[in-house]
Amino acid sequence: MKILILGAGAVGGYWGARLHQAGVDVTFLLREKRAETVRRGGLVVKSPKGDAVVPVKVVTRGEEGGPYDVVILACKAYDLDSAIAAITPAVDPDTTIVPMLNGHAHFATLDERFGAARVAGGLARISGMLGPNGEILNSGGSGVSFGERDGKPARPALVALDAACKKAGIDGGLNPDINQDLWDKWVMLGTIATMCAAMRGTVGDIVAAADGAALMSETLDECCRVAAANGHAPNPKVRASLEAGLTQPGSKAVASILGDMEKGGAVEARSIVGDMLARARKAGLAAPNLRFAYAHLQAYEARRARGALK
Amino acid sequence: MRILILGAGAIGGYVGGRLHQSGADVTFLVRPPRREALQRDGLVIKSTKGDITQKVKTVLKGAEGGPYDVVLLTCKAYDLNSAIEAIAPAVGPDTTVVPLLNGMRHIDTLAAKFGDGKVVGGLARVGVALSPEGAILHTSPFAAISFGERDGKPARKALVELDAAVKKSGVDGGLHANIVQDLWDKWIMLCSLATMCCLMRGTSGDILEADEGEAIMLETVEECRQVAAAAGYDPGETGMVNVRSFLTQKGSRFAASMLHDLEKASMVEADHAVGDMIARARKAGIATPNLRIAYAHLQVYLARRARGGIGKPAL
Repeated sequence: MKILILGAGAVGGYWGARLHQAGVDVTFLLREKRAETVRRGGLVVKSPKGDAVVPVKVVTRGEEGGPYDVVILACKAYDLDSAIAAITPAVDPDTTIVPMLNGHAHFATLDERFGAARVAGGLARISGMLGPNGEILNSGGSGVSFGERDGKPARPALVALDAACKKAGIDGGLNPDINQDLWDKWVMLGTIATMCAAMRGTVGDIVAAADGAALMSETLDECCRVAAANGHAPNPKVRASLEAGLTQPGSKAVASILGDMEKGGAVEARSIVGDMLARARKAGLAAPNLRFAYAHLQAYEARRARGALK
Repeated sequence: MRILILGAGAIGGYVGGRLHQSGADVTFLVRPPRREALQRDGLVIKSTKGDITQKVKTVLKGAEGGPYDVVLLTCKAYDLNSAIEAIAPAVGPDTTVVPLLNGMRHIDTLAAKFGDGKVVGGLARVGVALSPEGAILHTSPFAAISFGERDGKPARKALVELDAAVKKSGVDGGLHANIVQDLWDKWIMLCSLATMCCLMRGTSGDILEADEGEAIMLETVEECRQVAAAAGYDPGETGMVNVRSFLTQKGSRFAASMLHDLEKASMVEADHAVGDMIARARKAGIATPNLRIAYAHLQVYLARRARGGIGKPAL
């Protein structure tokens, strides 16, 4: 099986490095600058599960090679259009695309471009970020989840990808109910991103406010209701454990969107918060906290666009 | 008439400086480092209404030269207790205390300490800051103070004299026949702007770029108006039209000073300017969802500040 991974960030880079270490045929499709760094020094991984310098295969636009059995999309939502343009030459009729983006909005775009049959569901639970020299700073979480969106038995490419993940020590893998998993992750992410962005603090900072835990629980409820309206309410156990984690005093947990904002970077406002709010509206649900957070993110984007961030 | 001003910060320094410049008898109660700087450099005002550097009278203790006819209080709300301690020796039986703070709660605190009759209402409308070197930087086209009897009765002699001194100094405003309404009007504006600029971390123009920015802004103003109305001080339609049009001006680069404080990792008047508005709303049975989330934002900021987490990456 041949795998192409678009992006060598905290998700794609970590996952691909581990696959490569396990002897899987992995190629990274990267922008020139990132390609040069990785070609010169390999993928540098720092992780509680072991540090490594991995000399992976790298291609850039125009030299994609292929065909590939699986193309993994590990980009941010705001880079989706350029990512689609980049992978198009590497996708042939038998290629399976596994997007690892947050939210749901990207599926409509990918289905329209490549046909729904070629697009599987996927998500990452790989926590980490890129260091100043492009090294992958993994903070421990290293799970992935993917599967057929129609719930049918997995195609051979996904079965092979599952086997490769198991060999590489990646948690998770093939999930028979990937749609539920996508919603579970979006509910979690939608809640923590909404609150950390709108409040500009960690979970522990938020819970320190008089109404902080209440606001967090309300936000979780808003997201759970949207998931339920879409037929994917998290089961009570999942929800209870989410709520416990998100209201824990002193917690240092924080959404990566806040890290992006504090660096003055682009944010996945629309796909994580805006689209959840739009679906709430469509279902006739009140979602006041999502609304505040989306306004906050849009004000951030407006201020960023005029070059006035502090 | 003898006037004591606590501190020679942005507002006190500007107003006191203009009063002194026009011949009023003004003394600044300051700490030793500020006195040293004032004696060395003078009181430096850089202003849209003209720059001036002048020698001013200073004392280190409220008991020096007191009691005074008028004590002007221009501290931040979170410094109120230490301010009260500092001015107490300067307040005699006939002294009038004129606080120029935002909000309302400080008036009860001051009245409890000095007696209801000695404390009048007051507020400042001036865009001014202190430079790192201690100069008063006045940047707004306006500079006004407003003060008056809280019970609406004819003004006492000290306020009439203060009014005359203010008019002579070129500072706008002066004696106000309905100062409590003016306090509410200013609080509505300040609380709306501060909550929204802080919650959204942007200027009013940035907020208005969000799909629902204007709606959220107007809801917040309405929450504040309802609290004022419940206290008997609805600004009325004319007043509200001005507030609404100011806060919904597209492209505005105007931000609450509280946002500047947040971005400098400074202390903020969260409890005084926002928490107290919410407390009054609760008492009156008024729902204030926007103030609530903004107050939580400020409390989160203070929690993060207390653990030294401002300016360090959250991630």
